[in-house]
Amino acid sequence: MSNTSEKRRVVVTGMGVVTPIGLTVPDFWSNIRSGTCGVTVLEGIPEQDLKIMIAAQIKAVDHKARLRHWKRDKLVTMGDRYSWFAAMAADEAVKMSGLEVPFVDPYRTACIIGSGAGGLTTLETAYRDLFIQKKKATHPLTLLRIIGSSGAAHVGIEFGVKGPTFATCSACSTATHAIGMAKDYIQNGVVDVAIAGASESVISYGTMKAWQALHVLSPEGCFPFSKNRNGTVLGEGAGVLVLESYEHAKARGAKIFAELSGYGTSSDSSDMVKPSVEGPREAMRMALTNARLSPTDIDYLNAHGTATADNDRNETKAIKEVFGDYAYKLAVSSTKSMHGHPLGAGGGIEAVVSIKALEEGFLPPTIGLSEPDPECDLDYVPNVGREKKLRHVMSNSFAFGGLNAVLIFSPPPQ
Amino acid sequence: MDEVATKIVDILKKHMKEPRDDIGNDTALTDLKIESLDLAMIVFDIEDSFGIEIPYNANEGEAGDFKTVGSVVEKVRSLVAEKAKA
Repeated sequence: MSNTSEKRRVVVTGMGVVTPIGLTVPDFWSNIRSGTCGVTVLEGIPEQDLKIMIAAQIKAVDHKARLRHWKRDKLVTMGDRYSWFAAMAADEAVKMSGLEVPFVDPYRTACIIGSGAGGLTTLETAYRDLFIQKKKATHPLTLLRIIGSSGAAHVGIEFGVKGPTFATCSACSTATHAIGMAKDYIQNGVVDVAIAGASESVISYGTMKAWQALHVLSPEGCFPFSKNRNGTVLGEGAGVLVLESYEHAKARGAKIFAELSGYGTSSDSSDMVKPSVEGPREAMRMALTNARLSPTDIDYLNAHGTATADNDRNETKAIKEVFGDYAYKLAVSSTKSMHGHPLGAGGGIEAVVSIKALEEGFLPPTIGLSEPDPECDLDYVPNVGREKKLRHVMSNSFAFGGLNAVLIFSPPPQ
Repeated sequence: MDEVATKIVDILKKHMKEPRDDIGNDTALTDLKIESLDLAMIVFDIEDSFGIEIPYNANEGEAGDFKTVGSVVEKVRSLVAEKAKA
């Protein structure tokens, strides 16, 4: 995260998403603009004893059709669902970037696609086969499906990436760490191009039970900063960016959507589930320092906003400590109210929201916010989005374990 | 070809990138462009279909039992017979 005058600038030239409210960036963004809710009744789980019967699930996805044209990696369609999503999002992002594939300078390219839990649903299926069905063997692809770096590997194989290729893993900050790390690599001259983000797909009986046991899921919906909020809603999906050094993008005449101007990361080092104010505050401050911006330069903040009492109140406090009185003028929203909480993929999907917000001058809403929690008194852009020219936008990701990561996006360099 | 052979050829075809109809007992697996991971999936499918366990180690190169289609059929036939005896 060091930033000296010689360091290279990093720009975004491609974006891809897979979400419950849109399987491509245009569809997703149009649903974000109109405030569409992706939370639905849970499907595909045979057991009937779950207390929480809602999730932001991706339904009717034809991964085979979307990835039929893949040439170098043919195994992806047989991979775990999280790998399909990683592949679909990366495919859209790379296409959008207009980069020639396989990459012409493969060792100068990175592929950092994280996942909070990798192929957890595959593991559940394998254990069902072994322990309940009493099968003698698991499916031969079980191991390859489970490993949390298989998403990164599939994408790297398809696009011919021969530079740093791996996954990050930091629960709900996974994608943001991947994108921030890719920024550091480009800024410091390790690579010129990076595919970075994360993918997650863990909505299964076992996972729902595990989340239920932690008592942080809402039985009704995801209502961040609201007086009525009663927990988060599990989501799934992927968010992936193509990042490049400004020189590299300019030299090939690429369309630049934004500059990734700031990255900050910190750890609370205090508690597995109860966040501190200090950790998120310092991560936001580091991102501002890294971007060489003042708090008053930020016009929109895409909050972590999980709709848990701990997060929403704590994040609000941390924002106030960073932004002071200006916090009340800053537009803050949680798009998790629409796409749910896609865990590790959250920061990737929200990075796309932030870039589109900047590009189109639009503040995405926090839906389901009729009456705010009295301890959450900022402008959360309730229910309906607003047009506003934005100078710089910040995106927060704060994970269990107190792992914080923050990005800042700015207009394309002139 | 009998039922065992037909079933095995069907499984092989399912895992071939370009399935063909001229597969006989003498056909070498290498001619079918079957790679190591494909073989693991074929073994899994055969085990599942016949309710048997095939001793196979991917590290042992071209194991004798898996050189040709006929050798796979013979191996499966003997494992099925062993199972019936047990």
